[in-house]
Amino acid sequence: MSTTMPTSRQRSLRTWAFWAVPVLLLLTPLATNAYTQFIVNGMLISILVTLGFTLVIGNLGQLAFANTAFFGIGAYASAILSAKLGLPWIMTIPLAGALGALGGFLASSAALRGIRSYYLAIITLAFGELMRWAYLHTKPLTGGTDGLPLPRETMFGISLSDDTLKFYIFLAVTAVLVKATLNLLRSRFGRAVMAVRENEVATASLAIPTARVILTTFIWSGFLVGCAGALFARHVGHVFPESFGMLHLIASFAMVLVGGLGSVLGAVLGAVVLTALPEYLRAFPGMEELFFGLIVAAVLVAMPMGLASLLRRLSPIFVERYYREES
Amino acid sequence: MNKLTTFLTAATLVAAPALAQDDAWETQGLSDGAITIGVMGPFSGNASSYSKALIGMMAYYDKVNEEGGVHGRKLVAVQEDTACDSAKGLAAAKKLISQDEVFMLQGNSCSGVALALRPTIEEAGLPWIVAHAVSDSISDPLAGNIFHGVPTGSANGHAMAAFVLSKPDTKNVAIIEHSNDWAHSYSNPARDYLREQGVEPTAELTMERGQTDATAQVLKLRQNKPDFIIAALYEAETAIFLRDLKKYGMGDIPVMGTAGTDLENTLKRTGDFETVQNYYVIHSYVDNLDGEKMKPWADMIHGYYPDEELSTFSFVSIGSAEALVSALEAVGPDLTRSKLIAALEEVRDFDTGILSDPITWTPEDHQGVKGSAVAGFVDGEPTVLKAWGQPY
Repeated sequence: MSTTMPTSRQRSLRTWAFWAVPVLLLLTPLATNAYTQFIVNGMLISILVTLGFTLVIGNLGQLAFANTAFFGIGAYASAILSAKLGLPWIMTIPLAGALGALGGFLASSAALRGIRSYYLAIITLAFGELMRWAYLHTKPLTGGTDGLPLPRETMFGISLSDDTLKFYIFLAVTAVLVKATLNLLRSRFGRAVMAVRENEVATASLAIPTARVILTTFIWSGFLVGCAGALFARHVGHVFPESFGMLHLIASFAMVLVGGLGSVLGAVLGAVVLTALPEYLRAFPGMEELFFGLIVAAVLVAMPMGLASLLRRLSPIFVERYYREES
Repeated sequence: MNKLTTFLTAATLVAAPALAQDDAWETQGLSDGAITIGVMGPFSGNASSYSKALIGMMAYYDKVNEEGGVHGRKLVAVQEDTACDSAKGLAAAKKLISQDEVFMLQGNSCSGVALALRPTIEEAGLPWIVAHAVSDSISDPLAGNIFHGVPTGSANGHAMAAFVLSKPDTKNVAIIEHSNDWAHSYSNPARDYLREQGVEPTAELTMERGQTDATAQVLKLRQNKPDFIIAALYEAETAIFLRDLKKYGMGDIPVMGTAGTDLENTLKRTGDFETVQNYYVIHSYVDNLDGEKMKPWADMIHGYYPDEELSTFSFVSIGSAEALVSALEAVGPDLTRSKLIAALEEVRDFDTGILSDPITWTPEDHQGVKGSAVAGFVDGEPTVLKAWGQPY
């Protein structure tokens, strides 16, 4: 057994450590103001977006860029269900996730037809642009270029414009979905996902239904990012088509790479670091993009496996293993 | 009596912290020597060229400061980037309000961002003067602390239609536009105004963005023979449309364009004076950009920003900055946020000397600029017009 493999005690410690993080984070509002709380809330949304993205391109190994489409679908679904149908926003989160999952199903249809690599990339990019066109040109539903504001709402007598209340909701949703994704990846299904990435033909020869694996991964990715879209809709209170364009896709891709491709921990680190970084760079108006680009390039050159690799070197507790340990 | 005294004392003790908090809020961002003003704009990203819209305002602050400030207080701008993105804009607003604790806000290009900011700023209650973004929904319905210091989309649309109808015997008006909300923000108020005046547009055509030929639209218009055409098109498509109008012998029909196009830029794009000689655009200023009345403002900007290349945007925020300073002066040295809001609501027919129309803010209406002038070529020279044939 390799010395880097965690023991069962370490596994148990890892589970405790996982839940300890959101529990400790409950104290965050004591140390934040409205601005910093808003940024922290944005990090939680980015974690789900990055996680959904890395699942498809990192774990499943499919060069698919429909992530921003799922995000937009989730955000608009939440806004439309709240503003047009009067549903409480909290109820729109799973529904937005379901519609994001439907988007994942549609995006996977190209992969299921054997389209791979750059062709899949272009098709999924086109899917994203098609969705953006739809947001722009279905004005009665989406508000067109004016966007769609979410109605003001209260929960437990507190306005949902309150960043602290939003934080607790976002934290709960993010923690549950990250844990669910970790469990999924550690299951037999998760191992099948990575087997497809390594060699799809060999995986199929082991009687693993690769089509179902690909389909399910896209659907779960769509669900995660759709839920993130619903959180984003409430986060900004007003959804616009511009929020779901190429820039968002590039930023999400950078989060995946900086954190570490195919790593849940990397998704979290990439999202946190690259959401916070532009805020630190606010002090350099006009130079932000330059600094941002340089920092991202420096991280990738120094750590090709992303920030997660740095933590893995520090402790085996951060090693992500998705296969059964030898007894 | 004793009981009443005890009750009043107790009530005072209970209310004191809350009142002190209110007092602190009222004067947040103020010191004996400075008034901090949060200035948000797109300083990075695709729309960063709009940040030029804040230059005039910043230069005006500098000028006021050089002259001693307002009641001894300097106007200190704290700039934050919105990148024309709603999430980044919200972060900027929250930083300015809760971390930098500015006294008030002024600025903002990008209507989408301003719309996303509205609930947060309305809830925060500090004064906000919108100095560039034009969407009507930013300040309508009325929010007690939000003031619009430039002509809104509807004001521009009305101004376009009013100019069209000011041409004698204009009965047959056609509209050509892009199928997006930007175009509709001009064309719909123009339609409303025409209908109010009993004029129904006789042709309503669409020209999509990126279209490189307008033959089909022009041939339809030829059958229609309009007296005037309202064109809610971006500059590139405007140049193509005007070129094709001339090509089919309709270059003598006047065309009314939006504030999104510039007269001289359109001339540069077409490269032919005859093509644009009957083209008119919304122009919010009292003179041409290089005219005598604009020269002091241009000199002011260059005094503080020598490298600034002046464009239409460079001047747009000066008028609202002047109105702000006037209101600050009216309040006096004992400044609070509530007093400033009250003073802004007292601004009536304020002649900025740069905007073509005055600023009026009332408690019922915070959209301060209700009209706009028009620019067109008269005797071959770009001229600012009040109405057809009437120089400003």
